[in-house]
Amino acid sequence: MINQDSKTILEVRGLHANVNGIEILKGLDLTVKSGEIHAIMGLNGSGKSTFAKILAGHPAYEVTAGTIIFNDQNLFDLEPEERARAGVFLAFQYPIEIPGVANNQFLRLAYNTVQSQRGKEELDPLEFDDFVREKMKLLEMNPDFLDRSVNEGFSGGEKKRNEILQMALLEPKLAILDETDSGLDIDALRIVANGVNQLTNKDNATILVTHYQRLLDYIVPDYVHVMEAGRIIKTSGKELAKELEAHGYDWINADDHSKTAGVRL
Amino acid sequence: MSAVLQNLVNQPYKHGFVTEIESDIAPKGLNEEIIRLISSKKNEPEWLLAFRLQAYEKWLSMSEPQWQNVNYPKIDYQSISYYSAPKPKKKLASMDEVDPELLRTFEKLGVPMHERAALAGVAVDVIFDSVSVATTYKEKLAEVGIIFCSISEAVQTHPELIKKYLGTVVPVGDNFYAALNSAVFTDGSFCFIPKGVKCPMDLSTYFRINTEESGQFERTLIIAEEGASVSYLEGCTAPKFDTNQLHAAVVELIALDNAEIKYSTVQNWYAGDEKGVGGIYNFVTKRGLAKGVNSRISWTQVETGAAITWKYPSCILRGENSVGEFYSVAVTNNYQQADTGTKMIHIGRNTRSTIISKSISAGYSNSSYRGLVRIAPTAENARNYSQCDSMLIGDQCGANTFPYIQVNNNSAKVEHEASTSKIGEDQLFYFFQRGIGAEEAVSMIINGFCKEVFQQLPMEFAVEATKLLSFKLEGSVG
Amino acid sequence: MSTATSNSYLDNLLQSWQRPPASSWLDQLRANAMDSVGTLRMPSTQDEEWRFTDISPLSRLPYPVAHAAPKVQLSDIKHCYLEEASCRLVFVDGQFVPELSNIADNASAIIGNLSSLLPTGDTIARYLGQLAEFQNDVFTALNTAFLRDSACIIIPKNKSVTTPIHLLFISKQTEVTSYPRCLLIAEAGSNATIIEDYITTEEAPYVTNSVVEMSLANTAHVNHIRVQRDNQQAFHIGNCTVSLAHASQYHSVSITLGAYISRYNLNVILSGEGAECAADGLVLISGRQLADTHTFIDHAKPHGKSRQLHKCIVDGMAHGVFNGKIMVRPHAQLTDSTQLSRNLLLTNKARIDTKPQLEIFADDVKCAHGATVGQLDKEEIFYLKSRGLSELTARNLLTYAFGGEVIDRIPISSLKRQLEEIVLARTQIS
Repeated sequence: MINQDSKTILEVRGLHANVNGIEILKGLDLTVKSGEIHAIMGLNGSGKSTFAKILAGHPAYEVTAGTIIFNDQNLFDLEPEERARAGVFLAFQYPIEIPGVANNQFLRLAYNTVQSQRGKEELDPLEFDDFVREKMKLLEMNPDFLDRSVNEGFSGGEKKRNEILQMALLEPKLAILDETDSGLDIDALRIVANGVNQLTNKDNATILVTHYQRLLDYIVPDYVHVMEAGRIIKTSGKELAKELEAHGYDWINADDHSKTAGVRL
Repeated sequence: MSAVLQNLVNQPYKHGFVTEIESDIAPKGLNEEIIRLISSKKNEPEWLLAFRLQAYEKWLSMSEPQWQNVNYPKIDYQSISYYSAPKPKKKLASMDEVDPELLRTFEKLGVPMHERAALAGVAVDVIFDSVSVATTYKEKLAEVGIIFCSISEAVQTHPELIKKYLGTVVPVGDNFYAALNSAVFTDGSFCFIPKGVKCPMDLSTYFRINTEESGQFERTLIIAEEGASVSYLEGCTAPKFDTNQLHAAVVELIALDNAEIKYSTVQNWYAGDEKGVGGIYNFVTKRGLAKGVNSRISWTQVETGAAITWKYPSCILRGENSVGEFYSVAVTNNYQQADTGTKMIHIGRNTRSTIISKSISAGYSNSSYRGLVRIAPTAENARNYSQCDSMLIGDQCGANTFPYIQVNNNSAKVEHEASTSKIGEDQLFYFFQRGIGAEEAVSMIINGFCKEVFQQLPMEFAVEATKLLSFKLEGSVG
Repeated sequence: MSTATSNSYLDNLLQSWQRPPASSWLDQLRANAMDSVGTLRMPSTQDEEWRFTDISPLSRLPYPVAHAAPKVQLSDIKHCYLEEASCRLVFVDGQFVPELSNIADNASAIIGNLSSLLPTGDTIARYLGQLAEFQNDVFTALNTAFLRDSACIIIPKNKSVTTPIHLLFISKQTEVTSYPRCLLIAEAGSNATIIEDYITTEEAPYVTNSVVEMSLANTAHVNHIRVQRDNQQAFHIGNCTVSLAHASQYHSVSITLGAYISRYNLNVILSGEGAECAADGLVLISGRQLADTHTFIDHAKPHGKSRQLHKCIVDGMAHGVFNGKIMVRPHAQLTDSTQLSRNLLLTNKARIDTKPQLEIFADDVKCAHGATVGQLDKEEIFYLKSRGLSELTARNLLTYAFGGEVIDRIPISSLKRQLEEIVLARTQIS
């Protein structure tokens, strides 16, 4: 929901970034206030996922210019785990498998780390078990998940649900969902979207990175941004996503071209 | 990120202090006189002296093994003292009379020798340099007929058992180090679990090398009679010296019909410094004979210390339906070298063995798994499953796998799997993104990697092993 | 245990060797190799590399070097010809026989024997004896010292030889030692398929000691099929060394059927980045045969990939040995290697010693190996029986299928057919 008086959670200005020496982001600007849901759309290679990973502090990406202020703090001053503890959450496009580490153990450690950071009470294994099972109902997850190794042998849909479960546990200030809809069938998409909707409130914000309109039928964004060649080239309301779906990404460029043509005439 | 990993592995050795205590040390060097001296100091019967001298004769004709994947300067066997014992102030009447300096040493190492303070339900035999200084819970065990004492004491009190079993699993001339041990062994633990008795508590021996010039040559013998069972734990530490100390132990296990012996080791000898100076040479022969039908021998080891480790706890599966197991975690860092594994010799029908070996190498270290699975022509329907996984931290270390599989019976089924992995950057990043720092992330990944082995350890040891590993690897991840 | 002192095989060969006047590079090579022979001894089971293969029976045999090639009737060997191969080099007891060979006017490659190609340039001089190190291997040293002829194949840059090149090595004389030799130089971007085929027309013992060297330049692509079908009295020692430059690909399938005692050493060095190697093998032996395969895949540079499937089917009182070493050198990051040794024992007198071996000195690698030894799967037999097959038919079918997996990887259908027939005949136990 848009409320002009809300506090700004994220302020990105003139962000440039490289990966393996190739510039991917070329001056990205974005402002996100609490309570808002932003969708970032764009073709593959436009820089959407790079932006998501940079917010989380992935070491493979090198920021060459620009600033990111998160909750009045310079985000670049924080290590990846400090960002997570401060409330930045990334739901990965491809959640990695960690053989040998049990999911419940991992979830509890992550939960307790963030809890203690916030000065809240940590949970012992039994208390946590009750707590996590409750959260899992929200995502219609099978309790078997808890005993399996983190993401190991999970189907695509199971991995994505596990990501949203972690979001539910960690209650982030800013959640970035990177292509969370990819690989989900329509039922799973509905469940995941429902989970996300229940987690959004006036005090947090969500960035949905997606290629398709589909997810936005279930999680309705306040803003839709279109990225191309490392920048946001168009920002509008939720109707923009539908236009993109109907006309394709070329439509925006076509629009631009006609404008340019108009000037020339 | 590998810098974080590197920092995580390098932690100071906690047990590196020396105890100031007056010791009775034999002159350096090895010859018949020294062997006679050891034997007479221990007031041994004639047959045991003969056993030692026969071993010495064999040893003289043998040469150090060369095939293992380790490098070290030639050992001068004449510059080692083969006997070192803390001088007792007087004959001990009870544990309270043990030299307080010794008591303090073991308190410091976390091995309380007072029974009232001891780890609940664990009987401990404590070996300091060459001799056993104390055994706890002896009387309580004696009530059910279990003999648990130092091997020197058993030689005096139960010579018939020693004579019957000593050297039957590891013959005096088995290999270079076993022959050396058979000639000069000074002490060790002896356990005898009589027919039908399930040992009510874990038995344990704690080994401590204290003297710089002495070697430690202990000898352990465990016998489980028909239907008996026992779980035995072994721990070891040593002070920091710039020189290398030799530890050449022999352990023999014998399980009769339906008997079960579970032997667990957490080895934390001084490993040398970060440049590879000093540390223990750990050249050990451990072998169990599953002699009876349905007998079971299980080895679990967590090897974290020692400059060089050379050991292959083995099972000879002679009894029908007997079972051999080997669970191992070997962690090497800096310039440590480990060549370790097992031998499973299947002789009886329907014998089964399982090998789970996990190695973690960091720094400039080198870790090799060397294992033999032999199925003799008589071993109808034998089964073996082996799994060897290696994890490398950093690109200066090495991990090798040398499984030897020899099958002489076509009803056998032998399976071996091995893999190598590393702690991936993306794995670490996933942890970071969920607020978990490098140390905890690495400790979790490593514990997950070693899970199947840690599960085999008794509770107290599992906790100890987990701590030891995170300690050991602190500083190597990043 | 054999020792260096009482070895009539080696002594006899040493005596017959005459030091050439050392005028040419080739004579120098031979002389150097002979010097190495002098410092080496016959291996014994005391040597780790020969632990399971006792070649002492060979040590007792005074087999001299095979001289002048006797005549071989076309009718005796015709059945081994491969219809796909437009080019065929035939060697009898190690010596080239032009009248049985067919060096088609092949514009894409230079193919011939050593003496005919020596005058054409110095390429051969630069490569011959360079990969096959004789300093530490007595058999390679002997082969090089007695080197008289060799198959030589040079595939020029970016040329592709579309049909397979068939090298047929025939053993005709018995109680002699022959030294087949082959050199392949695949220049950058070239492509070829080589079949190295050992056959005999006789039933008495002889010794074959072969050496093959293959050098693959950047992005070259070579298929190498090796078939050893000696008689069951023969001794066969084969050495093959392959060097792979940047992004080159080497695929080999080795089939071992013959010989009383055989040993095949395959050494592949991935010396350029991104090289790929597949080294598969099938050993099918029975009676008192012993077949030993030692492979060494050496990942020396990053991004290499190797795949290996080695299978042994051991019948009768035969003895199969496999030692597969995979080395990942320091800095050979992102190596991806898998190896599988699978063994089938058909009788309770048959024996297998297998040792898959990993030596890894780089941390960012994916390596896995596995080994299984066993008999036919009872469930599979039951399944086939439940579909009406007899126990025997079911067993034969499954044994055949076990070997078939490797034969299927041979890209030449006529050779595949020949081998399938042999395997089928061998696996029909009645």
